[in-house]
Amino acid sequence: MKTALLLLGALPFDGGLVWAHHGSRISYDLTKEVTLKGVVKEFVYVNPHIYFTFDVKDEQGHVTEWAAETDPPMMMERRFQWSRHYLKPGDAVTVTVWPSKVGAPRGFLAKLVTADGKVTDHSDQPRE
Amino acid sequence: MRKYATAFAVPGVLLGFACGAAGQNTKFDPRDLSGIWMSHNARGSNFSMGGTVPSMTGWAQARYDAAQPGLGPRGKPLGNDPMMICDPMGFPRIMFWTNYPIEMIQIPGRILMFFDWFYTYRTIWTDGRPLPADPDPRFYGYSVGKWDGDTFVVQSKGFDDRTWLDADAHPHTEDMLLEERYRRVSPDTIEFTMTLTDPKAYKSPWVGAKMNMTRADQATRMREDVCVPSVEAKYKEQIRNPAGGAAQAK
Repeated sequence: MKTALLLLGALPFDGGLVWAHHGSRISYDLTKEVTLKGVVKEFVYVNPHIYFTFDVKDEQGHVTEWAAETDPPMMMERRFQWSRHYLKPGDAVTVTVWPSKVGAPRGFLAKLVTADGKVTDHSDQPRE
Repeated sequence: MRKYATAFAVPGVLLGFACGAAGQNTKFDPRDLSGIWMSHNARGSNFSMGGTVPSMTGWAQARYDAAQPGLGPRGKPLGNDPMMICDPMGFPRIMFWTNYPIEMIQIPGRILMFFDWFYTYRTIWTDGRPLPADPDPRFYGYSVGKWDGDTFVVQSKGFDDRTWLDADAHPHTEDMLLEERYRRVSPDTIEFTMTLTDPKAYKSPWVGAKMNMTRADQATRMREDVCVPSVEAKYKEQIRNPAGGAAQAK
């Protein structure tokens, strides 16, 4: 864990607490990843839970609203240069999440790729 | 701010500045704790003061058993952690939320600790006043501090018993006494320990592990990471409850 953090630029964050996400992290299956293509509906850039909702259309045309949450602004700004403008409604996104254990269309963000090629790779997070 | 720090540096001058072994630019005043710091848990402490948890009284055990933490070894989805409705974290738990900076400001008669997490602060009185006999409970207690050599010793009482001591939901009573001992051991490191005495909750004093705070880098700033109840309620409805399998999931 420490090594991984050093590679990320020696940020003064404790890896274990990266996941201490206000009591929600435990709801996600960290052994499984799901990748989805969708369109952003809402980008909620607030402390302590950044999250965004996005519509995902399946092959039959049925649309499901997913949501992905991630670390707070304090951390996303420093690690990935996020800001409140990072996403906006209508953005096409490819989202990889650790999904909800109960099968709800919710997940914790592992990786985000935007239509203009910006990548937020969160998948090196410790999974303790 | 610098002016105040200078005022407090005088004792350090009299005592002699500490120097690092390497002989580099490591002069510092061990009695100057001002600055922006990041605290770090003792490894494996589960966002707590660490050490060995003493045996709990029946009252404390019942309260501990009724709590449903979302973090740590007893963690489950959802739960009833007070912070999930933006209730105050309280002290000492606020110290264990280590991803957020803590700014310490020394001014005559007080040391102020500002916590970016929950955007709150506590006052440690250094004007020589004693602890009040029976203070009204506060989430962050009533604190007085004094220097014992180069160790800053803080005594606190008057804590609101609604707060959890840590993420694992260890309880405390309003009679809890807390002692913190801070020692700046290098320009960029403050070591500290906590000892909690609360006979109605724990059968012996709880002596915490040694923890430390390191100076935040230049990019770190206080950024108003307040917990907003309405925001938290929306998050609960949109994310936490569905993800955790609550009945009201849509």
